[in-house]
Amino acid sequence: MRKAILFLPLVIVITIGIFLSIFLLQGKDPNKPPSALLNKSLPNFKISNIYDGSQSISNQNLEKKFILINFFASWCAPCKAEHPLFFNLKKQYPNLFLLGVNYKDKRNNAIKFLNQDGDPYDYVGVDNEGSLGLEFGVFGLPETFLVNSEGKIIYKHLGPLTKKIISDEIVPIIK
Amino acid sequence: MISLIGFSSLFLSLVSNLVVIITFKFSKTLTINKVFYSALYSGTFFIVLSFLSLVWAFISSDFSNFTVFQNSHSSKPLLYKITGTWGNHEGSMLLWLMIMCFCNMFFSFNKILEINLKKLTIFFQSLLFILFCLFVITTSNPFLVNSLNVNEGLGLNPILQDPALAIHPPVLYIGYIGYSLVLSLAIAGLILDKIDLLWIKATKTWALFCWSMLTGGIALGSYWAYYELGWGGWWFWDPVENLSLMPWIAGLALVHSLTIVHQEQLLKQWVVFLSILCFSLSIIGTFLIRSGILTSVHSFATDPSRGIFILILFLVITGFSFIIFILKSKESSGRLNLLFINKTSALIINNIVMLIACFTVLLGTIYPIIIEVLTDKRISVGAPYYNSVVLPILLPGFLLMSIAPALSWQTNKLNKAKYFFYTLVFVSIFSLFITYLTNFYIWGFIGTTLGLWIIAASLLSIFNNYKASNKISLHNNALFAHIGIGIVILGITFSSVFQIESNHSIKINETINIGKYSLKLNKIEIVEKSNYQELIGNFNLYKQGKLLSSIKPGQRYYHVPKTITTEAGIYHNWLQDFYLIINKQKENIWSIKMYQNPLVSFIWIGALFMIISGIIGMIKK
Repeated sequence: MRKAILFLPLVIVITIGIFLSIFLLQGKDPNKPPSALLNKSLPNFKISNIYDGSQSISNQNLEKKFILINFFASWCAPCKAEHPLFFNLKKQYPNLFLLGVNYKDKRNNAIKFLNQDGDPYDYVGVDNEGSLGLEFGVFGLPETFLVNSEGKIIYKHLGPLTKKIISDEIVPIIK
Repeated sequence: MISLIGFSSLFLSLVSNLVVIITFKFSKTLTINKVFYSALYSGTFFIVLSFLSLVWAFISSDFSNFTVFQNSHSSKPLLYKITGTWGNHEGSMLLWLMIMCFCNMFFSFNKILEINLKKLTIFFQSLLFILFCLFVITTSNPFLVNSLNVNEGLGLNPILQDPALAIHPPVLYIGYIGYSLVLSLAIAGLILDKIDLLWIKATKTWALFCWSMLTGGIALGSYWAYYELGWGGWWFWDPVENLSLMPWIAGLALVHSLTIVHQEQLLKQWVVFLSILCFSLSIIGTFLIRSGILTSVHSFATDPSRGIFILILFLVITGFSFIIFILKSKESSGRLNLLFINKTSALIINNIVMLIACFTVLLGTIYPIIIEVLTDKRISVGAPYYNSVVLPILLPGFLLMSIAPALSWQTNKLNKAKYFFYTLVFVSIFSLFITYLTNFYIWGFIGTTLGLWIIAASLLSIFNNYKASNKISLHNNALFAHIGIGIVILGITFSSVFQIESNHSIKINETINIGKYSLKLNKIEIVEKSNYQELIGNFNLYKQGKLLSSIKPGQRYYHVPKTITTEAGIYHNWLQDFYLIINKQKENIWSIKMYQNPLVSFIWIGALFMIISGIIGMIKK
């Protein structure tokens, strides 16, 4: 009996270990809480073009195809890091509509950034006040959303995209 | 360049500790014995060098280092460049390694332990170091080269740019990681069958040291949370707080059981079990935070491969320790001198209570994970669970604490019981009187009575000891710590039960009345600093028309990364804190939130008592 009690700590450790391993191996990531927006329709919005303030685009006149919405800013270094990947993505999937949202930025800096590093987006909208970001629940840049042809948000990624994330998570959806 | 030096030294410290492991077996001969110790010291030297290289990379804003790039910015003040070194996962793991090595080195100066036991402990400590060093090198290398060519960093999280937070992690870590030495000592003692008086003495010194540091670290952390997070509270049952609380409770149980073993030469298995438990809880805490399984105000960049590595470390270290524990534990022949109520039985009950509390916190922390694995649903366990479950568990422990000094080691008789009884009656009437003056809350009454009684009973015992020996001896340190707990209980009770919270809108030059006090907003200032811009509300606090103090709450806008932080304005007073937060409402109208926190400073004063008493316990003869 005394000996049996000695085994108790080991048993507890192993039980905890099993649960934690399952949790880890299932690849659950608490940093990606199921977004309140997932599987919901796009919120209503209207944003003006960064190059020409008189033009604007709204959720109604978006085309019915896959849309990748990317929140970026010139002050955000990880955005700079993921930026070149969009050129490749666009080349491989010309049918994908790339909507860039310039978030809480200065217009001049943003244009300078797009001139220097290139502009892979089909349309770049301005969200200086961060109000569209609020609608989308953006709390850190960069953030990327994928919208399907029915106008529903089906995927969200927080932080810079990488080649691996694009090929493992985004490409299987839009293929 | 500096990263190269850092990484090479890190690698050399790994090699040095490998040499310790290899030479251990042959260290009977004098030359190899010398190599054994030299390797130990050079390992410490190299890890310090490695750590300093990283600090230098931060100071010189060397953004070719990836860790510096991700966690620093050239516009930061020097202090926060330095503290940024351990404000991130990689750097803090390097600090972890350095502390492990320091523990090992200081332990090697021990002169009282038998030489074999000492060397085996050093052997295990080096082994632990190697395991963690491999973890750092493979998954969390702080010296990675930045692939982007940039001349500016991403910045340190602004809420971490704070003096309290500069020393909170190192102090906490010393306690957290110091338990690794207690573990090594326990395993070495088990294997050599040397759990004797000398072992107990050595373990006690280390256990007290770690516990005092952990107390200091937790107290600093809660103080930071109090004035920086702007939520008016100081403890949030945040997962990270819980995870530091668990080794603290287990360490407390360990310190207490070491006293019983001291007196009765028994319960060795129990002490060994607790020694293993403390560090196991430290590792599982680290795992849960660094793997990103639990998220909290302490956010670290997370990476699943790290999680798997630490989980393996946890299972290997804890599993191995507990297997040794099973294999090497002997049937104890002696019997405990357990009476209905004497010091030994009180200490055992106290140990059980503490372990249950510790287990309850652990359960609350990992319960969401278990539920998610089993049902795929996400739930969260928060403050209500802990407040309603942990507090009632702790109550009997506190009750025992207050009568403990009156108990004897050998008999059921209470020493001078009537004095303690009178004190209790007096204190209860007094706290009834206090609660009568304010509002009656059951928890307010219980907390006040308990806190006051613990303080009174401890003082009475110190007085009795003084009468018996005619001097105040250092051996009263345990009673001193109990007074600290009493003070903390009073602080917690008053600041939570009797806290007054109010919301107001205010214009410039307007005065508003809050109870006996009035508050006037003089002006709003905007201050430019190198790393942030701050909006400060300049308030005057009056009591019945007399100026008490000015209070300056603010909001900071950090440039990199773009963040707004709340800076609470606090007017400290021994009896009551005025805690003010400001927010913009409309043009020219400011919304403010005011907390009146009675006796909140007692929490940290009490913690200070505990730390001092722990240090006295370490050095007393």
